This record gives sequence, C-alpha cells and structure tokens, in this order.
Amino acid sequence: MSLVEVRELDVVYRRQGVDVHAVVGASLALERARITGLVGESGCGKSSLARAIVGLVEPAAGEIVFDGKPLSPLRRGARPRHETRLQLVFQNPYSSLNPRRTVGSQIADGLRLRGEGDRTDRRTRVGELLDQVGLSAGAAGRFPHQFSGGQRQRIAIARALAADPSVIVLDEPLSSLDASAQAQIANLLVGLTRELELALLLISHDLAIVRHVADEVSVMYLGTIVEEGPTREVWSSPQHPYTEALIAAIPAADGSGTLPEALPGEVPDPASPPSGCRFHPRCPHTFARCPGEDPPLYELGPGRAAACFLRDPATAQTHEHEGVI
Amino acid sequence: MSLLEVEELRVKIRTDRGEVTIVDGVDYAVEEGQVFGVAGESGSGKTISVLALLQLLPRGASTSGRALYGGRDLLRLSGRALRRVRGRELAMVFQDPLTSLHPMMTIGRQLSEHVRIHEGASKRAALARAAELLAEVRIPDPERALHAFPHQFSGGMRQRVAIAGALATRPKLLIADEPTTALDVTVQAGILRLLDRLRRESGLSVILITHDLGVMSSIADDVSIFYAGRIVESGPTKELLSTPRHPYTRALLDALPHPEDDGRAELLAIPGLPPSPRRRPAGCAFHPRCAYANDASRVQTPPLVTVGAARLLACHVDPFAAPS
Repeated sequence: MSLVEVRELDVVYRRQGVDVHAVVGASLALERARITGLVGESGCGKSSLARAIVGLVEPAAGEIVFDGKPLSPLRRGARPRHETRLQLVFQNPYSSLNPRRTVGSQIADGLRLRGEGDRTDRRTRVGELLDQVGLSAGAAGRFPHQFSGGQRQRIAIARALAADPSVIVLDEPLSSLDASAQAQIANLLVGLTRELELALLLISHDLAIVRHVADEVSVMYLGTIVEEGPTREVWSSPQHPYTEALIAAIPAADGSGTLPEALPGEVPDPASPPSGCRFHPRCPHTFARCPGEDPPLYELGPGRAAACFLRDPATAQTHEHEGVI
Repeated sequence: MSLLEVEELRVKIRTDRGEVTIVDGVDYAVEEGQVFGVAGESGSGKTISVLALLQLLPRGASTSGRALYGGRDLLRLSGRALRRVRGRELAMVFQDPLTSLHPMMTIGRQLSEHVRIHEGASKRAALARAAELLAEVRIPDPERALHAFPHQFSGGMRQRVAIAGALATRPKLLIADEPTTALDVTVQAGILRLLDRLRRESGLSVILITHDLGVMSSIADDVSIFYAGRIVESGPTKELLSTPRHPYTRALLDALPHPEDDGRAELLAIPGLPPSPRRRPAGCAFHPRCAYANDASRVQTPPLVTVGAARLLACHVDPFAAPS
C-alpha cells in the first residue's frame, strides 16, 4: 500500500460569496523512496493540493490516508505524533525561516517538539542534519541572512528532516534559485529520498527539472489531474494535449534559435471553469464531445492515465485515422 | 555604427564597510534590431550594469567608463537631456510588472499619461494611442482593457501591459530585466514571441537580461556571460551555446536538465557559490570553482580577448579551444 493516498480530493475556497473549486477530484499516491512530481501552471491548484495533503487546509471532499490512517486537518492543538512525519517545505526560504533566530535553533525546533534528547544530544543531531543537507556544522550558530538562496533552501530541508519525516511535500523548492543552485538542490533531494526512503512530492511549474528528478509525474490543469505516469513516458510521449503544450513551451538552451510554442489563451478563472473538459477552449484538438462532457482519466497502462477523449478506447481509433496526435 | 556602445563600464557602491566594485569593466555593443543577451547568476552585476545606463543606480553608486548612444554618453547626461532619452528612447521592463504599474490607476490612464508627457498629444489622441499599444502587445479587447486596473490581469497579461507602456514612446532600445522569470513557460513563450515580433517589425533593439539560457537561446542574437562583475565570454548565441569556450559557460549549460539525455543522470552542479562582490577572488574570479584553473588563473585576471569571428573569451587556460 502507498504511504500516502489521496482519493478524489476537493478543495474549495469561498471568495466574495462564491465557491471556488481549487482542486476537483484529485487522486495521487506517494510511495517510499520515490519522488512524485506535480506540475502545472500557476493557479492550477497544485499548492492547494499540497496544503491539503499536509493538513493546512481542510478538503471539502475526498480523503487523505497517511500510513494507513485517515489524516486529520490541522487544528489549534498539537498534531498527533505520527502525523509530524508529514512535512512541508515552502517555496521561499527567505520568508519561511525566522530572520532573528539562529539556523541551529530553528532546526532544533523539530527535535524539541518531539521531546528528543537533551540539549547536547540536540546539538549533535543538528550538526548531523546540517551535514546531511551539505552544510557544515558551523552553520548552526549563524543567521539565515548569512546564507545564499540555495543554502537557505538546504536549511529549510534540514528543518523538515528534524521531525524525522517519512513524507516531505516541497512547494516549488527550486524556482527561486539559479541553475547551478537548482541542480545542487535537485541532486540533494534525489539523494535524501533514496537514502532515507522518503516519499517526496515535488511541486513545480518547471517540467524540465521535475523530469530530471521525479520517478512519477502528475500534470494538473485548473484543479484536475489531466495526466499521470512514469516521468520518462510522460515526457517522451505525452498523452494529453495540455502536457504536450507544456513540453513544447520549454525553451531549449541549444543555441538553435527556435522560439518555444505559446499556448493560446489564459488559464480560466477557477470560479467559473469552462464546461466539459476544462482545457477545451485552449486545446488545438477540441472536437464536438469536449465542451459537453467531462473526460475521466482513461487508464493507458500501469500507472499511466490521461483525461482526454482522444484516449477514450471507443473514439481513439477514429481519431488515429484523422491523424490527430 | 552601433546603437549603443558600452566601454569600460565600472560601477562602485559606497557602503558602511567601504567601496564595493559591482561591475568591473565591461564592454559591449548593441546593434539596431538586435536582441542582446546578458546572462549570469544572481549577484553577477548584470542588472546593475544596465541600471547604470539609465542612471537608475542606488544612492552612493558611482560609474566610470562610457556608454555611447547617438553620439552622447549616457553616463554623463543630466537634466532635460537625460529625461529626453530615458523613458523615451530607452525604456525598461522589470521582472515583476506590478512594480512599474500603478495599482490604483486604470491601464488607459497610465498608458495615455505616458504618451501625453512625452509626445504632447491631446487626451483623446493619447487614449487612442494607448488602445493601439494594447492591441500591439495582443491584449484581447483593448478598448475594455483601458478601463481595467492592473490587478484584474494575470501575470502574463500584466507583463504585456508593462511592455505596452515601455513602447508608448516608440523607444529605440528596450531593456528587459528577467521579463519572463516570474511567468509560466506557456506564458513566457508568448512574451518571447512578442519581443521577437517587435524586433522584426519595428527594428526595436532589446537588451535581455536573464539567467535562463533556454530563453537566451530562443531569442538573443548575441550573448555576454557575466561572472563576478565582468564579461567572461561573449559571441553569437548559436555558437556560444553550442560550443562554449569558458569553463563557466560550459558549467552553466551542464547544470541544466538536458532534453536529450535519458533524464535520470545526476545534474552537474557547479561546486561552491558565486563570490560576493566584497570578496571576489584574485585572478580569474571563477578559479576557486573551476576544474581547469592553473597558476595564472589564481593571480592574474584574464583579459577578454578575441578568439574567433565575433567571439570573445577571458580565460588563461581555454580548455575547450577548437583544435587547430
């Protein structure tokens, strides 16, 4: 069984008296020692889904099962002990670290809350955690502003590791970093996942970097998961037109001088999503069925699915004839 | 003659702890209708070097060198002459369009005010021009957009509006500082296509600052790679990205996820960090992170020299020289 199972999850916010469905019927599974990527444009609901998974927002429907038990939403009181093994790392290591406390004491919070050891033990453990994320033990006595963006992200990861997590959800951990720091953190995440057998959910709008580190990937559009599968397969033969558009929009640094493909239109307002397939107004392959019906995720192989009528076994053949995709 | 020629540009900033050199002698030229790329990591001085051209540097900064534009030195302009050039012939767009758009003013008022101040047009004519500008940057339903406020637009649309504002006075040179960094790739592609069209249709020159070599590859004609306040390599984009000569350029490219490899190879990160402007290493500033550094690299700053048609390189070792 998966370590985390998200089943048919809905997240709804109320905005000026209107219900906005940020996440609609999303399902996802996280496995030990594997990295799952969750990609999509801003406003697609990926951060809402992340927050729901760690219990920061209460889902309107569906369920989240963590280590065999349903997850309770975060309340005022302390979190049940076993749920502290689910940790979140935010995008911006500038705002998620306290500027006026030393790095060491912030990392030690996780240890203190778990009542682990005395002061000396904790100091030793902080040193080990810093080492694990590639920083020297001397970093413990310094303040966040004394570190670069990449180093701060390492500190944020060390702080999450202090809670001895089995699952870490990372919301855009790489997007504020330069290419080289991005590569360093990406390599670190892969190493930690394998070594500590963590289940990682990596949320990003950058499909290129996700492709490099994630074992599986789910693609989200306007609150729904439109495609999922082993990363390599999704990249080499995307089965949803939206995934295809995302890949075509990535500019390659090959000096070829080719402009990336722009996706026409804008992400619609989630408060009034289009009828039928939510992608149909921007899709180059839209046909009669798309505006009227909501496509289910069609199974295409082990762990592989796409929510597109072109993949409906009943219609796929006719479209192959017309040479679509 | 080039539209802009920058020679020996240096920018120093006075701080509590003494003077810090941010830009340490850079030379480049921008041609008409050309997209000139400036690439490098954060802290490399790429933004400061263009803010210097517009005299938009923070207090305590001093510049030396020359930036020749139409026979005048931009670094020495003042008063009216400066205002006539800045915002009219040289315009700028930033990474976050919200910093350049007024949140409480309609788009129409912001754009038309710009046109009225610089071109002395009537209110009605200025509004008509504003609508034209919005159409030019492909904002759907420009007439309606005139009455909207910035927050009513998405990030990509706001960046289009900011570009429309920059184009209001028909500038010759647009300086774009990480214009697509905050945007999704699909939206980024649209902005890149827009810049490309403007360059082709109206001969606009663009200085494009970005740390994203993919963006650079798709639109820049020439690229200069900045490291620690200096240009370490420059040349035509196509050549420079396919046959990089400087170990730093090569390392930047190696750090990127590559489309052709099978995806699961470890990314090649550059060891260490870019140096702070306060503590730049002696010699070649990249030497502590460089696998090819030799004794000369540690003591002597390599000059930027010609290594081929339009290619310049600042490296004592030149480990990737084409075999002769």
